[in-house]
Amino acid sequence: MAIIERPAPTASILLRAPVTPSQSMGIVRRPVTSTGWKSWVFTVDHKKIGIMYGVFAMFFFIVGGVEALLIRLQLATPDGKILSADLYNQMFTMHATTMIFLFAMPMAAAFANYFLPLQLGARDVAFPRLNALGLWLLVSGGLILNASWFLGGAADGGWFMYSPNSGPVFSPSNGVDFWTLGVQIAGFGSLIGSINLIVTILNMRAPGMTLMKMPVFCWMILVVQFLLVFSLPVITVALVLLTFQRSFGATFFDVAQGADPLLWQHLFWIFGHPEVYVLILPAFGIISEVLPTFSRKPLFGYPFVVFSGASIGLVGFGVWSHHMFATGLGPISVAAFSIATMAIAIPTGVKIFNWTLTMWGGKIWYSTAMKFAIGLIVLFTIGGLSGVTHAVAPSDTQQTDTYYIVAHFHYVLFGGMVFGLFSGFYYWWPKVFGKMLNEKLGGWNFWLMVIGMNMTFGPMHILGLQGQPRRMYVWTEARAGEGLFNFGFWNRVSSLGSLILAIGVLLFLINVVHTTRKGKPAPLDPWDARTLEWITTSPPKEHNFDRIPVVHHLDDFFHRKYQEDATTGAMVQIATGEQLVRDEEANADAHIHLPSPSYWPIAIAIGVGTLGMGVVYGVPIMIVGVLIILGSSFGFVLEPSVADDIDYDPPMSGGQETKELAPLG
Amino acid sequence: MFTTGSKYCFGIAGLGSLGAVVYMVLVNPSDVGVLALLGIAIAMSLVGGVAQFTGDFDVDSPNDAVTANVVAPANSMWPLVLAVGGVFLLVGMTTDPIIFILGIVIIIAAGVEWALQSWAERASSDSAFNRFVRERALTSLELPVFVGGGVAIIAVAFSRIMLAVSPQNGAILFIVLATAVLIVGFLVSLKSNMKKSTIAATCVLGAVVLLVSGGIAGFSGNREQLVSAAAEDHYSHKDCEASESKYFDKNSENAVSMKSGVTATIRVKDGKLTAQLIGIDTQVQAVTVRRSNSTTILFRNLDDAQYRLVANLGTKKIADTGVEEEIVDCTQMTGKNQTQALILKISKPSASSGPYTLTVPGLEGQEIAVVVP
Amino acid sequence: MRLRRFGLGLAASSAMFLVGCARNAPQDTWQPKGDNAQKINKLDWMVFPLAGIVGVLVFGLIAYILFRFRDKGQALPTQSHGNPAVEIALTIVPALILSVVGVFTFKGIFELAQTNDTEMVINVTGQQWWWEYDYPAQVVNGVEITQPIITSGQLVIPTGTNVLLRETSRDVIHSYWIPALNGKKDAVPGRINLLRIQADKPGIFAGQCTEFCGLSHANMRMEAVALGPEDFAAWIANQQRNAEAPAQATLAQEGEAVFLNQCIRCHQVNGLKKADGTAAIAAPDENVYSGAAPNLTHLMSRNTFAGATFDLLTSSCRKNVWTASPEEFGSAYLKGVTTDCLNQTDLRRWLRNAPAMKPMYADPIKLARSDGKYRGMPNLGLSESDIDKLVAYLSTLK
Repeated sequence: MAIIERPAPTASILLRAPVTPSQSMGIVRRPVTSTGWKSWVFTVDHKKIGIMYGVFAMFFFIVGGVEALLIRLQLATPDGKILSADLYNQMFTMHATTMIFLFAMPMAAAFANYFLPLQLGARDVAFPRLNALGLWLLVSGGLILNASWFLGGAADGGWFMYSPNSGPVFSPSNGVDFWTLGVQIAGFGSLIGSINLIVTILNMRAPGMTLMKMPVFCWMILVVQFLLVFSLPVITVALVLLTFQRSFGATFFDVAQGADPLLWQHLFWIFGHPEVYVLILPAFGIISEVLPTFSRKPLFGYPFVVFSGASIGLVGFGVWSHHMFATGLGPISVAAFSIATMAIAIPTGVKIFNWTLTMWGGKIWYSTAMKFAIGLIVLFTIGGLSGVTHAVAPSDTQQTDTYYIVAHFHYVLFGGMVFGLFSGFYYWWPKVFGKMLNEKLGGWNFWLMVIGMNMTFGPMHILGLQGQPRRMYVWTEARAGEGLFNFGFWNRVSSLGSLILAIGVLLFLINVVHTTRKGKPAPLDPWDARTLEWITTSPPKEHNFDRIPVVHHLDDFFHRKYQEDATTGAMVQIATGEQLVRDEEANADAHIHLPSPSYWPIAIAIGVGTLGMGVVYGVPIMIVGVLIILGSSFGFVLEPSVADDIDYDPPMSGGQETKELAPLG
Repeated sequence: MFTTGSKYCFGIAGLGSLGAVVYMVLVNPSDVGVLALLGIAIAMSLVGGVAQFTGDFDVDSPNDAVTANVVAPANSMWPLVLAVGGVFLLVGMTTDPIIFILGIVIIIAAGVEWALQSWAERASSDSAFNRFVRERALTSLELPVFVGGGVAIIAVAFSRIMLAVSPQNGAILFIVLATAVLIVGFLVSLKSNMKKSTIAATCVLGAVVLLVSGGIAGFSGNREQLVSAAAEDHYSHKDCEASESKYFDKNSENAVSMKSGVTATIRVKDGKLTAQLIGIDTQVQAVTVRRSNSTTILFRNLDDAQYRLVANLGTKKIADTGVEEEIVDCTQMTGKNQTQALILKISKPSASSGPYTLTVPGLEGQEIAVVVP
Repeated sequence: MRLRRFGLGLAASSAMFLVGCARNAPQDTWQPKGDNAQKINKLDWMVFPLAGIVGVLVFGLIAYILFRFRDKGQALPTQSHGNPAVEIALTIVPALILSVVGVFTFKGIFELAQTNDTEMVINVTGQQWWWEYDYPAQVVNGVEITQPIITSGQLVIPTGTNVLLRETSRDVIHSYWIPALNGKKDAVPGRINLLRIQADKPGIFAGQCTEFCGLSHANMRMEAVALGPEDFAAWIANQQRNAEAPAQATLAQEGEAVFLNQCIRCHQVNGLKKADGTAAIAAPDENVYSGAAPNLTHLMSRNTFAGATFDLLTSSCRKNVWTASPEEFGSAYLKGVTTDCLNQTDLRRWLRNAPAMKPMYADPIKLARSDGKYRGMPNLGLSESDIDKLVAYLSTLK
């Protein structure tokens, strides 16, 4: 019985196996298997995380789509009876929230996660475990948001959640509590992800890839991450204020206490407007890759596209009050924001012209990806032009909060963003899954979506200008106008269109199933592509590149395949993509280190989710959440990035489960 | 020399006797506390003696077992800290709960540090690795605690200073402070080869200044304005006579709602009372206040004398006594070119329980009618 | 050939669009009926065609490119990276177009915000889910308003007069919008927001709350009624009267008793006296969270009830008012709701169970967070005979 034991003599220690850092530190063995569900749940591989982001987003795209269909079904006839007023209000709130926070942002994150390292020539993102944490926080936020459906009703204040209507008196169910917490948690995930991606882009580009030789997709993702870094803190502040107002009796928006409810609107839209660009710029990035590939020509005016993207991001922070033209800001503010809003149309217009001129003089291959990209240009232009009509503030006072606005932003977000994402699906599917999506089904998918989209949202322009306001659970014959082409006609067209649109999206899902089952294996370079992600196998190996590529050109992959003939000036093929990939495999790097999977990201996310539920359901649950977060954080901090041999079973077995990939070639 | 265990025992014994002396001098020489402390001191000296004699109760190990084969334990301050914690605990038991809690915290902290350190010393035979292990385990515990404590100290010190100085001086002070921090940071970043000790000294100096000024500010209490404001309750005044406290909040016009489109602005100029309504370009003598609606009315005094705006909102019957009581609300005394807000919520129309008026004590015969439709 | 087809398609679709716009929707934003809306419409007529032309040019270009540069087996194009001169031109041209739009927008904003030519002021207060109007004492076009007038649902204004609405809200943010007269302006609690309206001719103009304001947002409507000078004077005179007690021993008098027993808790009727002869004063602040309920003194002078959601007129009588020519409109409207025009069905359903007709937070058990106060009108559990009596009483409130 010693109060303090003396150190044992060296001799006895030597009898034991040598102790290594990770063994003393790792509390549990690392989940190092490369197959089975554990290999997904605990992964830190950016590609697996990207795919999970995609699956998550697609699931919520369908959820949000079903919500939208219910809304359209309710509005197909006057005095619709499908949904009650309460349910309808929840439905449109959650449709927007789901589509923005649980579909659009995660789907952009899916593309960014998967393709950013591949396009940059990197083996992974800068902080792989943070990457996983971002994903699981988002999942946690998404679950909390949607759990509200089953726990007394979802949020019913609209995704803009204007105070005081979002206060405890006016929205007495717990829906808004779940909403604020879910969005906050998902926001933390995005924030973590954005810092990770910024560091990745700035530090992990392949040798020779200067910023101005970086693919436009990476540029747009970079701009988006900066937008997120600066705008998410604002919404977090607003959400914390709202949480305190609802759960802890604060009075930040209470007029009787000398506050001003417009504070919420300013905070919300300082986030909310940049958020619009957060949603659209990734799609711009995608089609800036697709259009050159299928036009067989570099992007027209690369620096203009890049800098217009950056300036859209910058000016995007100075136009938030155009969402508030009717709130009584006073003519000076209204005029300033009106002009700023018109100014943002200029860089957007530059992008449209550059994409159009990229196709000029090209050799256009109408693949499904290309069709969607062209669809984006056309539909986004319509949305952009209607946007100019409400940059004119007096006109906007007639249009805001009517279906004209609904039409506008669905042309921008569905016609713009969703078409861009679908273009990306068709373009990169062979890269991710090694199989070609069926082009014939793709054609049907595209045309049904174009027709459905225009039928759904086109008539909304007319409805809005005829004076049908948004967010109304019923419309009435008394205000519908006379004749054949009244509210009733256009509402029915719109509802019918939404069904066609749904069938279009369904065809995509059918295409995915069909491809997974019977799709033909993709060639290594199916589109004669231009950027680095195609210089490796499809799907890429865990370590992405056998050899880290050295970059000499913008569109380096293309320039490895083609060279300008010195005499004629024509482009002459000197190698196929396939040859290049084989060449890389033959000259693989030895000793490639990759980070090991970890339990802690998902554990922290579970803790954060529990903490969030605790805010609604009481302090004991909060304490459990905090303890989980604390414990997992220490686990996160203490474990080394690379798993120890002892974590493998059996240790040092070699083969598939080695921590270091065997030297290749 | 002393063995590790005996150090601990003798430490407690020494501090126990010291505590006993202090207690005798400060509290009561014949108190039971003295006995307790002395008893601990005696008991611990005995145990310490035994420990010293037996080589920390490990009879197998020779006293001078430090050989080349064995890694010598590093010097440790934790026994001493633990002992100090014990003293705090005991002193706290008899005096102040805060000292008691402090004792518990010190004991827990020292215990954790000690345990982890000794565990780390035995982790392997490689002392460099042991050091690494210790740092890895302890830094991740220490860092959050230190950072949290540091943030708490800074927050408390800053808030004490902010509460003690006047708003104007406070603004200047913190602008100067922020500029100083920026300049120092800039200089440090310019001279990248600056000695670490210089930087550390600067930081320590800053911390000391912050702590000392925070302490002084904390003891000197809040500024007079805040004290009287707390006593007066900013917006609701029970007493609206002209003779009441002359205090006014110099910056009350900064309230958010006062920047919004308020219902009316009441002005005193050249001894005349007028009302200005948004959207109406002429001065009026009647204000419509909507029933049951939180309504902000601003009172702006443009004269030299101090005034307050009083709202006379009819009478109400006290339920128990049946006595009619006047309902009055008012702003604070408002100096020249100052603005004060009055937030009214009137639930009965003026036709039934009016008339309601806005008056200014000291300006007799002038009033603004309040119409509640 | 292809171009012609494209042109035909364009013409057909724009014709569809115009036809779609031209129908007589009551809230059509392209049919201004007053000076302010006209100003906005002029801006619309500038920016919409401009946007249309730009759109047609861009789509024409795209269509041409898609046709001309399709893959016909031509050689790989030159890998040109762009043309700075073209780029700069394509930046400057939209900037120029937009600055022209900007100048007119600027002018429009300040014109619509001016208040120095106001001829009449009306206070507008939004609450869940109806609008209250009060007319402060003032002289309008020579007609003096001596007693403040308070009404709801239908806003009555004189024609050819610049009316300034001073808007605020008692609870959440609402938005006042009569498309034929001006754009919308939010009613924000704690703020006074200004909206100018002016109507050229007598008529009735529909509107709808356009800021999402909770459960029954869709059922928060309003109508603006413009009357010629004499009709407006008559309306003012009527509105300043107190309600007259119904004749002795009529069903209406029994209805008054029911009213005094139930409705008076929230609804004021000016001039109504309790059985002991004292004035009956409603105390909506004790029962309704927003602290107000419509003043019913002249209920039958308005054509709608419950936030202008339901008609007090039967559909044929309503049609007579809505389709009346500007010359006849005043007399048609001032007739009010006569006994044979009263929409008994809806009024009775409303009295029977209001929340069933218009969703409201009217369940006292669920209102813990608003101190048990209702948001909207609860189900009063009136008997059928009480309803008969009340309808008889209410129809005396001309």
